[in-house]
Amino acid sequence: MKQFARAVLLLSVLALGMAFPVAGQGSTLTIATGTDIENTNVFSVTASPSFTVLDHIYEQLFEMTEAGELLPELAESITALSDNEYLITLKQGISFSDGTPFNAEAVKANLDYALNADNAAPYRFLMVVADEPAQVEVVDEYSVKITTSIPFAPLPAHLSHSAFSMVSPAALAQGADFLASNAVGTGPYMLSAWNRAEQVVLTRNPNYWGEQPQIETLIFKVVPEAGARIVEIESGTVDVAVRIPPADIPRLRMNPDVEVMITPGLRTIYIFFNTTDPLFDDVRVRQAFNYAVDKEAIANSLFEGAALVSEAPFAPGIFGYTPQTPYPRDLDRARALLAEAGVAEGTSVVLYHPTGRYPQDALVADAVRSQLADIGINVELRTLEWPQYVPHVRRPKPENDIQFAMLGWSVPTMDADYALFALFHSSSHPPGFNGAFYSNPEVDRLLDLGRSTLDQAERQAAYARAIEIIWEDAPWLFLYSEIQVTAVRSNVQGFVVHPDESLIATGASIN
Amino acid sequence: MTLYIIRRLILAIPTLLGVSFLVFISVRLVPGDPAIALAGELATPELVQQVRQNLGLDQPLLVQYGRYMLRVFQGDMGSSVRSRLPVIEEIQTRLPRTLSLAAVSLVVSGVIGITLGVTAATRPNSWFDGGSMIFALIGVSMPIFWLGLMLMIFFAVLLPQWLGLGRPILPPTGSGSWQHMVMPVIALAANSMAIQARMTRAAMLDVLRQDYIRTARAKGQRERLVVYTHALRNAMLPIVTVIGLQFGTLLGGAVLTETVFAWPGIGRLLVDAIGYRDYPVIQGTVLVISLGFVLTNILVDILYAYLDPRIQYN
Repeated sequence: MKQFARAVLLLSVLALGMAFPVAGQGSTLTIATGTDIENTNVFSVTASPSFTVLDHIYEQLFEMTEAGELLPELAESITALSDNEYLITLKQGISFSDGTPFNAEAVKANLDYALNADNAAPYRFLMVVADEPAQVEVVDEYSVKITTSIPFAPLPAHLSHSAFSMVSPAALAQGADFLASNAVGTGPYMLSAWNRAEQVVLTRNPNYWGEQPQIETLIFKVVPEAGARIVEIESGTVDVAVRIPPADIPRLRMNPDVEVMITPGLRTIYIFFNTTDPLFDDVRVRQAFNYAVDKEAIANSLFEGAALVSEAPFAPGIFGYTPQTPYPRDLDRARALLAEAGVAEGTSVVLYHPTGRYPQDALVADAVRSQLADIGINVELRTLEWPQYVPHVRRPKPENDIQFAMLGWSVPTMDADYALFALFHSSSHPPGFNGAFYSNPEVDRLLDLGRSTLDQAERQAAYARAIEIIWEDAPWLFLYSEIQVTAVRSNVQGFVVHPDESLIATGASIN
Repeated sequence: MTLYIIRRLILAIPTLLGVSFLVFISVRLVPGDPAIALAGELATPELVQQVRQNLGLDQPLLVQYGRYMLRVFQGDMGSSVRSRLPVIEEIQTRLPRTLSLAAVSLVVSGVIGITLGVTAATRPNSWFDGGSMIFALIGVSMPIFWLGLMLMIFFAVLLPQWLGLGRPILPPTGSGSWQHMVMPVIALAANSMAIQARMTRAAMLDVLRQDYIRTARAKGQRERLVVYTHALRNAMLPIVTVIGLQFGTLLGGAVLTETVFAWPGIGRLLVDAIGYRDYPVIQGTVLVISLGFVLTNILVDILYAYLDPRIQYN
C-alpha cells in the first residue's frame, strides 16, 4: 500500500512536470531578497536592496570592504593637495560595458550629476560639506581634483558609497527616465532583465577589467514573506535567503544543506536624552538610566541573540570603532545616582518611539519602560507613525519638548565621521541630527580633527578619545546594533554579506 | 439589452470619477509624504521641497486633481514615484497575472464548490452533506497566509524528502510556469470554494422544495436532469452574485496570496505603493480595480437576465 502510494505520488510528480528551474545548477546563483529594487537609477534609489543589485553592475572610486578597510576601486590613489583639495588619480584602461572609456571626464559627469540639486539625489548630502557641494575639476585624462569648503578627510569613504557609483556618461546623458530601467557600469555584471516585483537577472560582463566572477548569472528573486524565503532555501530553489527571522536560526542550523551567516549590521538603535531638559541635563540621571536598562536581556529575549549590545555609539566594523564597557544592569547604582541628582521616586518622563520602523522597536520601548519602573521612574510611551515621527523628534531647540526618544542611525560610509559628527557635534543641533542637543567642546575638537586629517592613525586616535568621552557623558541610552541573518546553501562558497546590508556574489561559486 | 449595457457603461463613468476623486483626496489625507519617501529620511528640507516641486505636489489639490484627470483622459496615468515607470506600464505587467490567478481560482472553486453544494443539498443530513460542509467550514476558516505556507512546506520540503527527490515538486514562489500557479490557486480557491459550496447548498435546498421540482419529478424526468437543469439554474442567482463579488475582491484583494507566493500581481503593487506613498500608482491601481468591479457587476446583471428570463432590463 505504501509502495502504491509512493508510485502514485511519483507519477503525479512526473505529471506536474519538471519545467520550473531549481537553483544551485550550472553557473546560476539565485538570491531570495525581501524587496524589489526601487529602480535602476543609482542616483535616485535609497534602500539597500536596490544598492545590493546595482553594486554588481556599478563600481565606485573607492571601496569599503566588509572588514571596514578603505581601498581604491576605480581610483588608483588619493592625495591631499592642500587642507581641502584632494587629487584622485584613476585606474587606466577601464571601459563601461557599453564601450565608453572610463576617465576623468566620466568621473566629473557622474559627480556633477549627483551634486546637481535639480536631480534631487537622496545621498547628495554626503558630498555637501558645511553646506557647500564639493567642486570637481578635471586635471588630466586620469586625474580629478575635488575641492571641499573645509578640510574633509572622510571624502574617500563618502565616495565609496554606492550613491556615487560611476555610470557610463553615454547612459547618463539620456536622463533619469532612461537610467530608471537601464544600468551601464564598469562592474563584473550587466543588467539582463528586470521583471518588476519578480526578479532582477544579471549576466557576467565579458569585458570586465578585473577578475572574472565564476557565477555566470545572478538572479535576485523577490520573495517578500520571510516564511516563504525559508521554504525556498530549505527546498534548494534559491541559494541564498536574506533577512531570516532570528526565531528560525536554531531550526535552520540543524539543516546540513543550509548555513546560517550572522553579520553585524551598520545600524545602531539608541534612545537619545534631551540634554537641555531639566531632568536630563544632569549626567548622573543619564547614567542612572543606562544602568537601569538590561540591554543583554533585550538582545536575548526580543532578538533571540541577533542583536549586539552597544559598546560604542556605533556598530563594530566601522572605521574608528573603539569598544567601551557597556553599562551593566545595576539597579542599586542607578538608584544611588538618581538620589544624588535629587530625582524623586515616581518621577514621570515621556519616551517617544517609532513603531514598525526598526525590528521590534515598540517592544524595545516597552521593555525600557518596564525596566525603568524598577528604579521608580514612570515612563509614558508615545508613538507616532514614522513619516511624522522624525520631523517631530528633530524639531529645533526652542520648540522641542522631547525628553527622550528612540532612533536608529546607520553608517553607510562605514566611517566614524558619519557616525559621530552629525549626532554629537554641537554644530549639528536640530535642524541637524544631534537630537540630544549634546555639546562638549572637547568632543567637538576631536571630531573636527578626525575630519581634517587624512592620517588614518591620527583619526583613529581622535575618535577613540571622543567615544570615551561620549560614553561617560551618556547623552544616549546606549542600546544595541542590528545583526543580519542570512541563510546560504552549503554548496555555495565565497558569498559575502557586507555590514552595509549588501550581498556580494562576485567571488562566489557553487560546488 | 444592448441599450441597458450601454446605459450601465455610461453610468459607470460618474462612479469611476467619484472613485478617482475620493482616492486622490484620501491618499493625500493619509500622513506621510512621497517626497520624504523619495528623498530619504536624512533629506534636508530643501531637498524635500525640490522633490515635492518635481512631483508637482506643491500645487493646490484641485489643480493637481484637474491636471491628473486631464492626463488620465489622454491615457496617461503618470509615472510611479518609486520606479519612475509609467503607471500604465506597471499595471499592464501586473494585471494579467492577477486576472489569470483570479480566473483559474474561480473556475476551480466554482467547479468544486458548486458540485459539493449540489450533492450535499440532494442528500441533506447524510454523511456526505455533513462531511462536505465541515470541509467547507475548514476552507472558510483557514487563513490564506497560513494555508499558503503549509502548502509550500508540504510540496517543496516534506513531500520531496519523503519521496527521496532531490528537488521540490512545486516551486514555492514566483510565477512563469503553470506549476507556479498550483499552490496559489489552491490557497485562493479553498476560501471561495467553501463559500460557494455553502451558498449552493442553501439555495438548492430552497429550490428543491418548490412545486415545480415536484412536478418535474412527477413527470418522470431523470433526477440528474431535475437537479442540474431545473433546480440549479434557478438556484444560480445568489451563487452568481457571490462569484461576481468574489471575482471583484480577487482583483484587488488577493494581496495575502500574492505576498506569500511572491506572485507579482496588482494587489501587491497596490500595497507596496501605499507603503511608499506612491500616489500615481495608488490612484491608477484603485481606478483599474474599481473598473473591474463595475464591469463584473454589469456582467453579473446580464447573467441574471440569462438565468432568469423573467428579469428584464428596460
